[in-house]
Amino acid sequence: MSFDINLTLESIPRMLGGVGITLQLLVVSGLLGLGLAIILLLMRLSKKPYLDWPAQVYIYVMRGTPILVQIFIIYYGLPQFDWIRSSVFWPILREPMGCAILALSLNTGAYVSEILRGGVLAVDQGLSEAGAALGMSKRHVFIYVKTPIAIRIALPAYSNDVISLQKSTALASTITIADMMGIARNIVAETYAPYEVFVSLAIIYIIFSTGIQKAFGLIEWRLGRYERRNG
Amino acid sequence: MEALSGWWDDYYWGSVVVLKVFVASLFLMVLFGLIGAAAKLSNSPVAQKLAGAYTVVFRGTPEILVILLLYFGSAITLTAIAQVFDPDIKFVDIPPFWAGTFAIAFIVGSYATETFRGAFMGVKPGSIEAARALGMSNFQTFVYIRIPEMWRIALPPFGNHMLSLVKDTALISIIGLNETLFVAKQAITVTGKPFTMYIFVGLIYLAFSTFITMAVMALEAFGKRTTEGAR
Amino acid sequence: MDSAEMPLIEIQQVDKFFGRFQALKQINLEVRKGERIVVCGPSGSGKSTLIRCINRLEAHDSGSIVIDGTELNDKVANIDAVRSEVGMVFQSFNLFPHMTILRNLTIAQRLVRKTPKNEADKVAMHYLERVKIPEQAHKYPIQLSGGQQQRVAIARALCMRPKIMLFDEPTSALDPEMINEVLDVMVDLAREGMTMICVTHEMGFARSVADRVIFMDEGEIVEAAPPAQFFENPENERTRTFLSQILTH
Repeated sequence: MSFDINLTLESIPRMLGGVGITLQLLVVSGLLGLGLAIILLLMRLSKKPYLDWPAQVYIYVMRGTPILVQIFIIYYGLPQFDWIRSSVFWPILREPMGCAILALSLNTGAYVSEILRGGVLAVDQGLSEAGAALGMSKRHVFIYVKTPIAIRIALPAYSNDVISLQKSTALASTITIADMMGIARNIVAETYAPYEVFVSLAIIYIIFSTGIQKAFGLIEWRLGRYERRNG
Repeated sequence: MEALSGWWDDYYWGSVVVLKVFVASLFLMVLFGLIGAAAKLSNSPVAQKLAGAYTVVFRGTPEILVILLLYFGSAITLTAIAQVFDPDIKFVDIPPFWAGTFAIAFIVGSYATETFRGAFMGVKPGSIEAARALGMSNFQTFVYIRIPEMWRIALPPFGNHMLSLVKDTALISIIGLNETLFVAKQAITVTGKPFTMYIFVGLIYLAFSTFITMAVMALEAFGKRTTEGAR
Repeated sequence: MDSAEMPLIEIQQVDKFFGRFQALKQINLEVRKGERIVVCGPSGSGKSTLIRCINRLEAHDSGSIVIDGTELNDKVANIDAVRSEVGMVFQSFNLFPHMTILRNLTIAQRLVRKTPKNEADKVAMHYLERVKIPEQAHKYPIQLSGGQQQRVAIARALCMRPKIMLFDEPTSALDPEMINEVLDVMVDLAREGMTMICVTHEMGFARSVADRVIFMDEGEIVEAAPPAQFFENPENERTRTFLSQILTH
């Protein structure tokens, strides 16, 4: 059994050609998911049952089913209906990228909303009471006291979710998208050399994850200034 | 819904496969997690570095990539090894069941390493000191003091690991494991109803997730019976 | 009847329940302007609950609480009106950890009173000087000692110019050597005529500053008297028991 270094060196640039798509999937889904997460969070915090319950059900379903199934439902499943195919959303839902981004956003939104909620609940209640005693309205307390502290608490868990999202982008290759994973599978199909190609792809992904982790570490360090005695 | 009739049997057996994968990978995941945690907690720098590499590699690599790498890569390795003994052998491979089970056990095991390590370190040092002061041996301290506290701390994140195992099983369909998603693909070519089939798969997985979540909640309540609210 | 004679705080027949547990039983209390009240009692006696009802951090279940003419009920306008006149200092300081000391003192002024930045800063520095730590203005709470943090907390409450100050065990979370610096600030405040209700175990403070000492036990006001009488000649058996428990050491 030999390890074909040449093949490795040739495949890496080809796979990196898919970086653009991978990043697109990551960033767009990440941002849309964050927006959805905030909406879900506010629904859950609103204390109104008609907002809280639907949000809870949505989060429960999205977190309880495999993301691959969710991708397939959107890409393969929705075209089953005529009214989808004639709707205004069809141009997006017809495209693999549109479906992948939609699925990833809907999924990460559910996870992130729970992470944010954990952060908000972890804020010391005494701080809210101090704000109330000073006459601050609930809205003011939420914006100026709870949110800044909740963000710092939730940041480590959020960074884990971003890394998860990055790994999930590889699933886009199952619906014909030519991201890094998709290109890799094509190369393997051509060359029958899974080791060389997949191992180098794994290394690329690991470098990505480490990069994301370091970036968040930096953000956490900067935001956590008030927690260090030396400021 | 009539599309589903005639497929109940197949879906049933597909679910059985999901269950089998869950049991096998659960056992392995715990094994890998404990070994990894022990390595990280040990005094040996080699063990720590290896465990560190293990977590970085499997937490940074997409699950589907690990599955493909293990499946195709191991086939090549095993074939090469077998051909040393018997040059006539054309092809040796691992059944998708085992390739997939080991793959997801490795991946979730790398997260479990952190969980177990954190649980070990989360036991209050004061409890350990008290046990020592009372004359309990290392083994007794471990069994009667450490373990009961550890599993209480580890239970919530461990529940999430179990959910990950179940959901990752859907990915193994990519390498031909005949679990429910695989069944769905076949059903679709016959019935032409992708939405119906994929939603049904989603419901099956949701049922599994629900069952695990409820089991974990029951265990958490059991664990708390002595520490909270006992008046 | 002119306003100097009307009590600033009127609490009448107040009950408070937590589930089935009754934390306050038929509390009646009047506090005049400028009075200094110390509330003491064993843990679980309801003393914290009582003062937390005064600024609606807890809601009383029956009876009435009237602060400077405003009835304390569910109406947001009433709650806001009361909170603008009542300041509170907490046992665990509750300074906003992610803001500098200066911002801790100015944020409520700017959001609630809409005071412009310059003026808010001036007021903040004025009170920081009153509590004797103006140089800490740009530090973060974590960089200050417990005693300093609590003094900042007092200054923060004062920046809103309250008529009444509530103290919920202000020195209980402090190391012994820092208790006095906080008590000194509270004594100064009392001397200037601030109406104060203070839940505390510091009996020396009660003796020298309080107009009335109130003993609470199991949700009821058991005894209320000026310090001289309270400490030398308590009427009630339970008061005597409590005093003997805390004063012998």
